[in-house]
Amino acid sequence: MIGVYRELEGTMRLAAHVLRRLWVLKLPPVAEELVRQIYFTGASATATIVIRGALVGTLIIAYVIEVLNADVSLAVKILLWVVLREIGPLIAAVLVIQRSGTAVATELALMKISGELASLRHMRIDPQDYLAVPRVLGIALANTALTVYVQFIAVGGGMLLSALVIDASLGEMAGSFFLLASPLDLVYSIAKSLLFGAAIGVIACYYGLNPPGNSINAVPKAAISAVTQATLAVMLLNILFAYLVYGSALFGLFTAAQ
Amino acid sequence: MSATAGVALGYEPLAERERGAGRLWIAAGGSHVVPAVGAAFKAALLAAVLELRPRSDARVVVLGLETDALSPTARAALRAQIAFLPAGGGLISHLNGWENIALPLGFHAPDRLRGLAPQVYAMLEQFGADARSLLGRLPEEMTPYEKKLAGYVRMRLGRPRLVLAEDPGAGLGAGERARAGEFAAAYLADCPEGTFVQLADVPDESG
Repeated sequence: MIGVYRELEGTMRLAAHVLRRLWVLKLPPVAEELVRQIYFTGASATATIVIRGALVGTLIIAYVIEVLNADVSLAVKILLWVVLREIGPLIAAVLVIQRSGTAVATELALMKISGELASLRHMRIDPQDYLAVPRVLGIALANTALTVYVQFIAVGGGMLLSALVIDASLGEMAGSFFLLASPLDLVYSIAKSLLFGAAIGVIACYYGLNPPGNSINAVPKAAISAVTQATLAVMLLNILFAYLVYGSALFGLFTAAQ
Repeated sequence: MSATAGVALGYEPLAERERGAGRLWIAAGGSHVVPAVGAAFKAALLAAVLELRPRSDARVVVLGLETDALSPTARAALRAQIAFLPAGGGLISHLNGWENIALPLGFHAPDRLRGLAPQVYAMLEQFGADARSLLGRLPEEMTPYEKKLAGYVRMRLGRPRLVLAEDPGAGLGAGERARAGEFAAAYLADCPEGTFVQLADVPDESG
């Protein structure tokens, strides 16, 4: 229990440090790390993540339409409420955890046990400034971009599939979708993706910078902890967002917009 | 005049003070070799000198100043004048030679990055390295000598007044060892007021 509390406190401290020290991004080496992280998490992963995300999104649509015997109106609501607001950000986050969360935790843990973090300190460079700040921001931004790709392809694929299955034209589907959708949906999913990405980045950096030991065995343990805790954090944040939107607090905003 | 005025590095573990063992007192200027430094002593010395925190277990004097008496600002200013050169160069594995060499300046003096390349090329070539090739490679693609050299050039660019170095020649062949032996002299030629302290390891007698 004390260990869990310590890890939670450490993660929150790191998150606060990242927020407080965002200005270090103007330093050339940190800016280069940010670009490197965005490239790794976003650009170089786009093809694999988008294809997997789109497949999952389209499969969900196909399954739900079949089970609920949906008409145009219901299919569009499923696309908007399930795929756009929920599944898109969630799929992107899970895929980013699998790929970048493990990579960051492993890389930082290896740097720690090979003495590279000590080398940074010898150069008067705070490892949290140089390694954590650009990685957290890079993962948050890249996760948001990937979410938009996944949403676009999953909704597009879902519309194509729905049009075929329920005998409605693609134009009719698209018209109903854009009538129902509001800018708040975009704001909601972007805010969620940014927060998911930041949580993944902070947790991966925390476990990478604090591996459970100084031997090579600590590296996979750090990666496992990062993946487990980041998945848990994303699920909890998703519940929180769902409560804010579908719960009593803000539900009126969304229903009023529709 | 203070008793510590001409001291570049003073380290006196308090527990051993009366016996006089483990005491290190190095005058400012020139190159010095501290012979047969054990791992525990070296770790304690480096922690004391590189962290410069007030300590209850040792008296530490750096560049004529008693570090216990310093304010945090003065401590940070003093720390900026100290460099540590580890035996392996202390490079960061995901950065190439150029990025490694420019890293501390990118943090502490980004305005000096412009116009840095000729200086770096000159220093690398002075020590027999193919600068263009070395700067584009990752540490895992460098020889042990190239790693040490990249770490040394990085240290030189920071213009420290006190350098603590692990044996630069350790683990090298005769030719490269001779070149690495010139590190201290080249540093002092560039920075005559500096002090280069080499911490020699305890010889391994197990074999």
